[in-house]
Amino acid sequence: MDELKNLTKVNLKNLDKTLYPDIKATKGQVIEHYIKMAPKILPVIVDRPLVLTRYPDGVDKAKVSFYEKNAPEGTPKWVKTKTIYSTASKRDVAYIICNDLDTLIWLANLAALEIHMPFSTAKNLDRPDLLFFDIDPEPPATLSDAAEVALLLKDMVSEIGLTPFIKTSGKKGLHIIIPIVPEHTFEKTRAFVHSLGIELAKKNNLVVSEFKDTKKPGKVFADYLQNSPMRTMVIPYSLRSTPNATVSTPLEWSEVKKGINPSDYTISSVVQRRVNPWKDIFEKKCKLEI
Amino acid sequence: MEQENLENSQIKQAGAAIPRRSIWSGSITIGLVNVPVKLYSMIYDKGVTFHFLHKTDGQPLKYVKMCTKDDKIVPWNEVVRGYEVAKDEFVTFDKKELDAVKPESDRRIRINKFVDYFSVDPIYFDRTYALMPDKSKDAYGLLLTALEKKNKAGAGRITLRTKEYPALLHTYKGALVLTTLRYAYDVVDPSGFEELGKLKEPEKAELDMAVKIVNELSGEFDITEFEDTYMRKVEAMISQKRKGEKIQVEKLPEVEAKGLMAALRETIKQLEQPK
Repeated sequence: MDELKNLTKVNLKNLDKTLYPDIKATKGQVIEHYIKMAPKILPVIVDRPLVLTRYPDGVDKAKVSFYEKNAPEGTPKWVKTKTIYSTASKRDVAYIICNDLDTLIWLANLAALEIHMPFSTAKNLDRPDLLFFDIDPEPPATLSDAAEVALLLKDMVSEIGLTPFIKTSGKKGLHIIIPIVPEHTFEKTRAFVHSLGIELAKKNNLVVSEFKDTKKPGKVFADYLQNSPMRTMVIPYSLRSTPNATVSTPLEWSEVKKGINPSDYTISSVVQRRVNPWKDIFEKKCKLEI
Repeated sequence: MEQENLENSQIKQAGAAIPRRSIWSGSITIGLVNVPVKLYSMIYDKGVTFHFLHKTDGQPLKYVKMCTKDDKIVPWNEVVRGYEVAKDEFVTFDKKELDAVKPESDRRIRINKFVDYFSVDPIYFDRTYALMPDKSKDAYGLLLTALEKKNKAGAGRITLRTKEYPALLHTYKGALVLTTLRYAYDVVDPSGFEELGKLKEPEKAELDMAVKIVNELSGEFDITEFEDTYMRKVEAMISQKRKGEKIQVEKLPEVEAKGLMAALRETIKQLEQPK
């Protein structure tokens, strides 16, 4: 155990506590997942104020989970935070910034199974460097339907010179992000994403682009609303609170096709993926002309 | 520390389990004679020890020191000792100040004189320790036999940890034992109680009756006639519960830790690579 202490500053606790009872996955396995994924995660979340969903007693529905923005009591001094005034709750919130392996391990040790990130960085909170499309199928529509819509969207944005990246949400949908030069307001990026959604809806009758239509059965909602300050998506390779510990997994576009199944991407399978589809994502920032 | 030396059940046998480790070593000093000895605990206080656990997740609880003003947890380095000189008025000491005046154990049991064991009232008996020969057994055996033969006990003093005690060196079941004693100021003299004033002289007939009862009930003292019924009941409940649901305290399992170490080394290596 002494040797473990030499490798990380984090005082790891309760490693054999079961967090995913259905598959008997322990907190030790959760921490191992985040350690192994760290080289792929850290470059994406660097300098972003994070929001956590913690499951100290596991993902069992009967157990407590909580959504946490403020750095919890007992946050070590070496963990970076960014204080942002929340107009909604009228107080300062100290968000956690995770730029290193130890902080990521510390988050996992808190049983922060789900980690969420905003679409802008702490340095430039009001100027998003990511466009975000949440492709959310309403049953009986499935991930296959979401994949069809995602491919359509990919063709559309590629045509105007943007480079989209895709991941599974880890639940039923797909997330598409497009890195951009951070110069526009969220108001503008939100309007832009919305307009693309409207275009999509015209091309494919599966798609709905308006919030009021989200619950129409069998439709796929191209959600643009998250393109707002401190609204978030789960980070790439974040675990989800599903019974089988699915992972929000970055995909190569060639993997996006019919028959794609969210439960193929779990805590036990994702670690074996050799590909890193989101590699160098911020070197592909496009200047968005709106 | 003494608890861990106990076997699961202490009530099945008359005596408690033999402790594995001595807690002190030094020598008995009588004039110019030294008898090297090791000192072992002989007295166990607690029957059944319970730990406090958190009802909702079964994890052990710990005590924290909280400030009474703002209910914040106070770290050790902000704690000082206060002696209340008047209501809500304190003089304070830090640990170093107090440590400086504490006596150090000189590793000696100094015996000044030999007394009749029964002349020492058990009221003063504090705690008894077994003394075992250290290195040479000859001097130990000699002292033991001499005390047994004369039926005497050695009176003297010992410093254990940081406190000096009066002590009585005597024999018990073929061994030398040391009983630390209480200071006179620690013991109340009951004749000072007002309730004892004006006790009525008993009538002769009453006294004869009382003495008769005492005589009829006289016998040898046998400690094994006494049984801790509470402890017995708790032990019965423990063995019942052992068969049912148990709360497992979570510890770092070696296997998982090894997996984590391998993953950590690999990731650290990857992160260090120039991009």
